[in-house]
Amino acid sequence: MRKAGIILFWGITSLCLLALVSLPINLQTQLIASITVVTFMAVIKILRAEGIWRLTALAFGTAIVMRYVYWRTTSTLPPLNQLENFIPGFLLYLAEMYSVTMLALSLFVVAMPLPPRPSRAASEGKYPSVDVFVPTYNEDEALLANTLAAAKAMDYPADKLTVWLLDDGGTVQKRNSANLLEDQGAKARHQDLQVLCHELGVNYLTRERNEHAKAGNLNNGMAHSQGELLAIFDADHAPARDFLLETVGYFEDDPKLFLVQTPHFFLNPDPVERNLRTFERMPSENEMFYGIIQRGLDKWNASFFCGSAAVLRRKALEQTGGFSGVSITEDCETAIDLHASGWNSVYVDRPLIAGLQPATFASFIGQRSRWAQGMMQILRFKFPPLKRGLSIPQRLCYTSSTLFWLFPFPRTIFLFAPLCYLFFDLEIFTASGGEFLGYTLAYMLVNLMMQNYLYGSFRWPWISELYEYVQTIHLLPAVVSAILNPRKPSFKVTAKDESVLVSRLSEISRPFFVIFAVLLLALVVTVYRVYTVPYTADVTLVVGGWNLLNLILAGCALGVVSERGEYSATRRVKVTRRCEFGLDDQWYPATIDDVSANGARVNVFAKNLASLPVDTRGMIRFKTHGGDTEEILPVAVRNTSVAGDIITIGCLYLPEVARHHSLVADLIFANSQQWTQFQLSRRGNPGLFRGTIWFFGLAFYQTTRGLLYFFSNPAARDKARRLAEAKK
Amino acid sequence: MRRSVVLAFALLALSHVSVHAQTLPFDMTPDRPADSPVSNTPAVTVPADGAGAGDTPATGVTDTQADPSATAAEPFHRFILPNGNLGLTGEFDDRTWSVYLTPQQAAIGSKLNIGYQNSIFVAPEVSRLSLEVNNARMADEPVRSPDSVSDLSFDIPKGLLKPGANLIRLRANQRHRTDCTVQSTYELWSNIDAQRTYLSFADNSAQALQSSDDIRAIGVDENGLTRFNFIVPALEQPGATIPLMRLSQGLALLANMPNQAFSFETQGLPAPKAGEMTVLVGTPAEIQPLLSTVPLGAASAPVAGFVTDPNTGSPILVLSGPTWQAIQTAIESIVASTDVDVTTRRELLATQNWRSPDAPFLFADTRLSFAQLGLKTEQFSGRRFRTNFTVGIPSDFYADAYGTALILLDAAYSEAVLPGSHVDIYVNGSIASTVPITSSGGGILRHLPINVTMRHFRPGVNTIAIEALIETEDDKVCAPGATGVETPRFALFDTSEFHMPDFARIGQLPNLAALSGTGFPYNRSQEAIPLSIDRVDADTLSAAATVLGRMAVGAGHPIPVETIASPALIGNRSAIFIGSLSQMPQMVFTRMNIAETARNTWGPDPGDEPEGVDTEATFDEWRQKLRGGIWSGQISSFEDWVKRNFDISLSSLRFAPTTESSFTPSNEASLLIAQGASPDGTGTWSVVAAPSGRDLREGVEAVSTLANWSQLAGHITTYRRGTKTVETVPVNAFNFMPTQPASVSNYRLIAANWLSTNILSYAMLLSALGVLLGLATAALLTNLGRRK
Repeated sequence: MRKAGIILFWGITSLCLLALVSLPINLQTQLIASITVVTFMAVIKILRAEGIWRLTALAFGTAIVMRYVYWRTTSTLPPLNQLENFIPGFLLYLAEMYSVTMLALSLFVVAMPLPPRPSRAASEGKYPSVDVFVPTYNEDEALLANTLAAAKAMDYPADKLTVWLLDDGGTVQKRNSANLLEDQGAKARHQDLQVLCHELGVNYLTRERNEHAKAGNLNNGMAHSQGELLAIFDADHAPARDFLLETVGYFEDDPKLFLVQTPHFFLNPDPVERNLRTFERMPSENEMFYGIIQRGLDKWNASFFCGSAAVLRRKALEQTGGFSGVSITEDCETAIDLHASGWNSVYVDRPLIAGLQPATFASFIGQRSRWAQGMMQILRFKFPPLKRGLSIPQRLCYTSSTLFWLFPFPRTIFLFAPLCYLFFDLEIFTASGGEFLGYTLAYMLVNLMMQNYLYGSFRWPWISELYEYVQTIHLLPAVVSAILNPRKPSFKVTAKDESVLVSRLSEISRPFFVIFAVLLLALVVTVYRVYTVPYTADVTLVVGGWNLLNLILAGCALGVVSERGEYSATRRVKVTRRCEFGLDDQWYPATIDDVSANGARVNVFAKNLASLPVDTRGMIRFKTHGGDTEEILPVAVRNTSVAGDIITIGCLYLPEVARHHSLVADLIFANSQQWTQFQLSRRGNPGLFRGTIWFFGLAFYQTTRGLLYFFSNPAARDKARRLAEAKK
Repeated sequence: MRRSVVLAFALLALSHVSVHAQTLPFDMTPDRPADSPVSNTPAVTVPADGAGAGDTPATGVTDTQADPSATAAEPFHRFILPNGNLGLTGEFDDRTWSVYLTPQQAAIGSKLNIGYQNSIFVAPEVSRLSLEVNNARMADEPVRSPDSVSDLSFDIPKGLLKPGANLIRLRANQRHRTDCTVQSTYELWSNIDAQRTYLSFADNSAQALQSSDDIRAIGVDENGLTRFNFIVPALEQPGATIPLMRLSQGLALLANMPNQAFSFETQGLPAPKAGEMTVLVGTPAEIQPLLSTVPLGAASAPVAGFVTDPNTGSPILVLSGPTWQAIQTAIESIVASTDVDVTTRRELLATQNWRSPDAPFLFADTRLSFAQLGLKTEQFSGRRFRTNFTVGIPSDFYADAYGTALILLDAAYSEAVLPGSHVDIYVNGSIASTVPITSSGGGILRHLPINVTMRHFRPGVNTIAIEALIETEDDKVCAPGATGVETPRFALFDTSEFHMPDFARIGQLPNLAALSGTGFPYNRSQEAIPLSIDRVDADTLSAAATVLGRMAVGAGHPIPVETIASPALIGNRSAIFIGSLSQMPQMVFTRMNIAETARNTWGPDPGDEPEGVDTEATFDEWRQKLRGGIWSGQISSFEDWVKRNFDISLSSLRFAPTTESSFTPSNEASLLIAQGASPDGTGTWSVVAAPSGRDLREGVEAVSTLANWSQLAGHITTYRRGTKTVETVPVNAFNFMPTQPASVSNYRLIAANWLSTNILSYAMLLSALGVLLGLATAALLTNLGRRK
């Protein structure tokens, strides 16, 4: 009853607001109203008011957005009899309406995200049996060894925990391939992995045929195991020791729970972060999703399975026939089916696994193409808005998640729309300068402020636009093909173990330079027109300003596709851990400063040690997390630097037996707390103003860097420098 | 009612015959040609099929530079310019109006004379002045009279003129002798001299008026004025006022000329004059001294009809009867035809006597093509093209703040036209929109939408002008003879459309613009409106008749009025007060917010207006002068910028209407028209006041001319005799008067307009709803979905 009353009250208030914003008031009134609203929102933001005030600010923003929509719909479309204006004009209109729809949906999803859940440790003595699945296709052994070792090292009663390596790279089909190379590779892989699994105490499983890709592989795993719960880790996602303890408890609370999802935390930067050098300072792209959106989805019982780092209930999966494999994003698809049959999900906002993400721009795009195509397939085959069994909020949530991937269309339209006017003199948006100020500018400001309000500390200003732009160029064809042939896209495993050793332009960078050149030309045309056609200068300036914004984004993207060479193949993780460094049977006190998947940096206290030659054999002795005995990991020295009594030694792991992998995993993955701390260290809202200035500075720098790469063939230069260094 | 009308017509017919029968014996006018008896209709040959009329070219043109000194000796003629001298300005100008002719006049009209003088800059070899009568081209003459007024005289083909309205169209196509700039086109004008622009008739029989329809043929004098001279010996008799007011409204409606005045005298027949009509009202006994031959039967029955003044030969409208009751019946016989049901919606506002076609009356969403609005497709080779059309807007129009109408322009421009040319739309003389031409190489605009703000729309007739300013490379070079090149550069097609959307409709009180436009709110009254006249004398009644006549024309029907014994009896009804301000009841001052002291201080008019210091202008001057300060200068220049670009000033930022401040008429003002609500707000009181009776009569005459009357606005309008200007005091506080059945869509538009006027209210309302929605959403979100 009370609920109905509140819904009624909300409905009436919304209707009143709708009636008010759809009044055909004049421009002056609109201007004053815009200024009032923007001021109000700014004040609320500056005061950092939360709770009701946050929602009030969002309501204010919504009012201005709705006014914009009303005005845009009623007075700005070109006349229908001017088809040359109307068609692009209407496309632009659709693109804007898409953006508004997405804003509305995301407002719904994240208006009040669930606060992070308090830790729900599994009850003592009530541990359900868990099968850990690590599906693999072509990942190399060392990577798998770390993951499997970390999985095996999770704190959980050994009799309840079974770890499975589900190898799709060594199937019978592969081993008997007509392709000789593939056949030989698969056979060797089959052999090696079986040995590794045996050493680590892990079950190895493969199957006859590579049917239904990852979903089929997991279903095969299910068919061969009996555990109540399934934990899924991608081959490159190594869990922390407390992963299971922090997740399985929820299944006890809710018998209808089918999923506990945890965030994906990455040890290495994605290509955008790497090339822009923002990994240490700025929240990662996926933090917006895992930090806010999944929490928002969780409020509506709609947080979905992301393929890895999750625990699922076998009973639920069996009810719907295992993992679904219609789309190439089997994870989200499985979740939507289970939600639709009345199962619940939970999201735990704490990084409990650490993984790798694609290092090159090309593989990054490949990964995104798969997600986009998969979501298009889900949109097509499951159509969330009308999916039976989902609650209305769940429908909206899934609609939001799938529709998001249509962004390449509006992005493309926003990119080229100003060119219609600048190059072809088409008037696709009929508005005067004053109207532009009163409506469009207010809308854009309010939109930015709302974004900042919703995602402020997880997504800095203009970063969403940058990510969308860099993906759009290659995603657009992928999305179009998925729409046209929804059954065509096939599962491709994203390569994550590549590295960029030399600075070079990405192999798919050419379109970015072409677009940049076109936009630059449009800028020249803008200036030319302002001077030669002064009576339309106001419109030219507005459109030119829009183009300039596009140009800034496109310039920044030049930096994104100019891949920086890196010395260390994998990202180092800061750990501070006491150990002893052993050299020639002598043990020195030391601390481990940072670690990566391949090596570690150790600060050694030693008075009499000078710099060590490369490849000197050494040892690190330390206690594992939760273990009492000290264990020894063999290493080779790569470089040393002496500062007083402290020698800093960079060393490479030399794992000889499976146990050594476990030690490496312990160093890197054991402590999930450190990942949280790392995330928090770069989380922070620079604000709209500061963020914008920062972004423009970044864009300017990256533009020049991109152009330098373009004109100076950096690969060659890089090689030359390496040669010079080697000679020294 | 119906029976009495029938009776009246029967009587009219009867009296008509008897009047002429009676007047003839006394006809001793010396200058009246003996061979043209009034009752004789001259034989006119009219082409049977009427085809000859349209096709007959005007051949018999005589062009005489000399002043036609024989005017006096010439037979009867009628001035045809409805507003006095007419200026045809710019490169293209076009006027169309109609002249009402009696059957007699139509039959014997023979010549049309035009006197004009043009600017010295007009190049005669490429400039044309053309004339059409009833769509037949009469003349297309070069414009070549820069030194003095010269006359063009055209013979009118037989049968071209017809009884009733005859369409006259004057077009000027003028080009500058040397200059090719847009600026130079403002130096181009041809002035049509009203005194020498007339229709002349073969003989004086055209002067005679016979039926009551012929009242419409009253015409104008050389200044474009029309006057009914009432001679009412029993003027001050209390029972006479209301019938006379009704008669004057009826006559005003029948004549429907742009500048009409009524004057009342008790004795003496005025000399006949063009554009004037003498109206004699009284019992036979009363009119006996003035008119030697009283119409037969007037002693026993109502009589209404024309008699010919034996002294002057001019017609006199006589309304008589044995008693004033009978006279009232006689009056009804003329006025009744103008009565219409109050609730009937007019489709047109009759303007054709000064501007043809009539303005279509727009009440709701309407689309009209330019052809329907009287515009023709025009091709234009000059640099500034201007044309206009009119539309009628109802008095409950309330969309001035938010509304936009739409013009869907069909036009074309040649490749010679440079970007930077533009098409401007003006509403009632104020710019409402500008459309730049941005592309070179020519183009065709097909239904290009142009938003026309309704800000300058007002109740009544509105003029919307379209002006194209065209720049070309040729004009920049301006080679000799370039101005005369006839290659079309711009074309406006009559398929263009004017689209009036649905607009907010609610009456506002006070609103003198509505009073001027359609006589609102009195036009809607079914009951008689109390008319409070402090003194029943010639001056006051003249003023009252002129005002009521004007309102009746606006309303389209006579407005019923009644006299009241005392203003105290008015109560809360709507009323009209006419008289000197000093005699107005005290309630009037408080309701209109006029300072009570004005009762004693206003007037006498100082006569010659001293060049007083205009405080506001001086203040502005000082402000301009002291613009040096860094901060105040910056702020005020920012204010100016905002004002210039967005039309927002500090004073426009308001939450709600402010209260009216007290008004004191200045001594330069000679007439004051004010409107306010009756004490309980349900009725509308309008006041027409002056310091003295004479001021009242003259002031009302001046204000009721077309040009001045259409400027009535606000809650107080004053007229300055010295400068002949109208000044208005805008409305601040007003009441709504619902005029339409309740509907959500209308209320929505009303709200839009109110909020667009009270800008801060909108911002506040939006904020309030924003906060409310925030609270509601918070409540909703904490109750829906997961919570912890």
